[in-house]
Amino acid sequence: MSRSAAADDHSATLENQPLDQNTASFIAEAAASPFDFHTLSVKAAGDEKLKRSINNAVLRQYSARQLRLLELPDSDRLRTLAGQIKQHAIENLDFYLEQLIENVHRNGGHVHLAADSTEARKIILDIARQQHATRVIKSKSMVSEEINLAHVLEQAGLDVVETDLGEFIVQISHDKPSHLVAPIVHKDRASIAQLFSDYFGTPYNDDPQALTMQARQYLRDKFRKADFGMTGGNFLVAEKGLVCCVENEGNQRQSVSTPRILVSLVGIEKIVPRMTDLAVMLKLLTRSATGAPITIYTNIYGGPRSPGEKDGPEEFHLVLIDNGRSEILADPEYRETLRCIRCGACLNACPIYRKIGGHAYGSVYPGPIGALITPLFSGLKTYKDLPQASSLCGACYEACPVKIDIPKHLVHMRRDIVGAHLNGFFERLVYRMWAWAYQRPLTYKLFSAAQRMDLRARAGESGWVEDLPSFAAGWTRVRDMPAPAETSFRKMWAKRHG
Amino acid sequence: MADSNLTSHPVMQRVRRALGRTAPITTAPIPPLLDEPIIRLVHSDIGLPELFQKQATDMKMLVEMVRVDEVIERVAQFLISQKCKSAMLSDTPLLRNLGALEAFQKAGIDARSWCDMTADQAYDIDAGVTEADYAVAETGTLVIRHRPEHGRLLSLVPFVHVAIIEPRIIVPDLLDLFERLARDGTGSGVTLISGPSKTADIEMNTVTGVHGPNIVKAFVLS
Repeated sequence: MSRSAAADDHSATLENQPLDQNTASFIAEAAASPFDFHTLSVKAAGDEKLKRSINNAVLRQYSARQLRLLELPDSDRLRTLAGQIKQHAIENLDFYLEQLIENVHRNGGHVHLAADSTEARKIILDIARQQHATRVIKSKSMVSEEINLAHVLEQAGLDVVETDLGEFIVQISHDKPSHLVAPIVHKDRASIAQLFSDYFGTPYNDDPQALTMQARQYLRDKFRKADFGMTGGNFLVAEKGLVCCVENEGNQRQSVSTPRILVSLVGIEKIVPRMTDLAVMLKLLTRSATGAPITIYTNIYGGPRSPGEKDGPEEFHLVLIDNGRSEILADPEYRETLRCIRCGACLNACPIYRKIGGHAYGSVYPGPIGALITPLFSGLKTYKDLPQASSLCGACYEACPVKIDIPKHLVHMRRDIVGAHLNGFFERLVYRMWAWAYQRPLTYKLFSAAQRMDLRARAGESGWVEDLPSFAAGWTRVRDMPAPAETSFRKMWAKRHG
Repeated sequence: MADSNLTSHPVMQRVRRALGRTAPITTAPIPPLLDEPIIRLVHSDIGLPELFQKQATDMKMLVEMVRVDEVIERVAQFLISQKCKSAMLSDTPLLRNLGALEAFQKAGIDARSWCDMTADQAYDIDAGVTEADYAVAETGTLVIRHRPEHGRLLSLVPFVHVAIIEPRIIVPDLLDLFERLARDGTGSGVTLISGPSKTADIEMNTVTGVHGPNIVKAFVLS
């Protein structure tokens, strides 16, 4: 998906709707101008309320994860194994996809392959139209966000309701999710209470229990009358033709139980070879995501209801979507990113995400993994600032349950940016001059002596450089730099060993 | 439908090309060996009911060990204590052999069997009483296989779900569960239940009873 297509999506789906104020300005900026990470992130970092909400949530999930991993006999080796299983699956994706498709057919389900978001939306809409289904209950899924599915179905005249509590709140406030597993991590309870009061026309009450019960009551009727259930999928089991999805609320179970049509939209990279691989993946997924040993519900299915069953879908459709994944697969280096199981652990671990939240990444996939896969999915040119949004501290790699070496890939992507001449002309010129000068002892000595003198002069008494001239002002805009030492390391070395 | 001939679908061709293959591979690749000692959390068959009780309790499930000749009476008492006026029961052997339906009716509960009702009626009933096909000690999980006599909604739409489980169905570890499911099959679907429905979407405050049951009680027969 190109950036302009993404911008179209925003304007097409959010027209004339009252938006959450913060999000409204984020999205408006993203849609109106080319993606500008710098402006978005500076703005987000200055929003104290946003930072408090995010820290409250992610630090709790992160510390729960730290404790919970200790239960595993050897979490490091289990992460290695999970990474190997996913890597094996994607490196033999052609084989496993065929096996999966064959087995879903055997279970009595239908399979569709979609090359991109347009195809996937069309397939799903066609199923709804052919079956005369109009009342859609949709459970949370990142890939449906990726293709903007709910909005598209709504525009086609279907009654679509997001049934995960967080996603429901996102839907009625015309917002965007900002975290892979905790979509409304950027909202505080006061804003949710106000939203519910406005939406339902009820008195303001900010008790989470009361708010949840209000949503339960409202959605229950939607569940009961739904004829079209929509889910994503965390894993696809090739050997059995099954979808495995996890959740805590029971809304996804509703999608799998009540409506007569069930559609699961899943990325082609979600495959694992064997049923027993689920033991490995599930043990890591929930521990990494929320710090729980397992989710409340795990739904495993791959076909319609069996003869005699009173509930469950009469028809099951599995829509497998590529949408750029095969391009990533073609790159032996970045292929590893397809291991991702969307647990969100790298977001929680990331010092940058904790400061700026999810919306600043300008994509449905935020955080370190988003900084990596958004440019891969949607183009390095538009998203060239995202790989820079990392201190390369390695916390994301340490947190990753399938050991995607995110920092390494971010560095490599920075290399690609330079290789494709996507950095500025001035930056390239300076680095070329620097390289030329620093390869020659004479110019090296001259330059470094001049620079040391200049910086020491700027620092003055305080010992800190606080201001650089315009072309280098970016360095000191938000931080100070200590002045260089009076004597260079080379000189000290020469004196001692000379 | 787009089902036919997916093998030559453009997506499959792109995947093959991405992997540098000119023709479909015919020999099954060998997945990494599952190294049990690093996967398994529960290694022993001893004390599984107690471990199940501990783990399920951690997940906010209510667990009670009960003798087989007392269980139906205890379930009825529990339903009444939860102010459940109506209940629906899976039409499964254990509940039938225990005479659950008649006993609940005698206790004044409007009880009916899954085979005598429509799916839609389930939405108006206070409690679902079921068995489980497996239970997992490691995580305190109930596992239910969907089938005609055991509807999905029984354990989903009422505010109270009661499951009666025999100790023999408890497996030690998730790994054992998935080995069993791979061997025995999943029918039209399987649901793993590990406590009452919950959310933490609003400022990380845990609230139970979101869209599924708020009370999940397991009676483990001894």
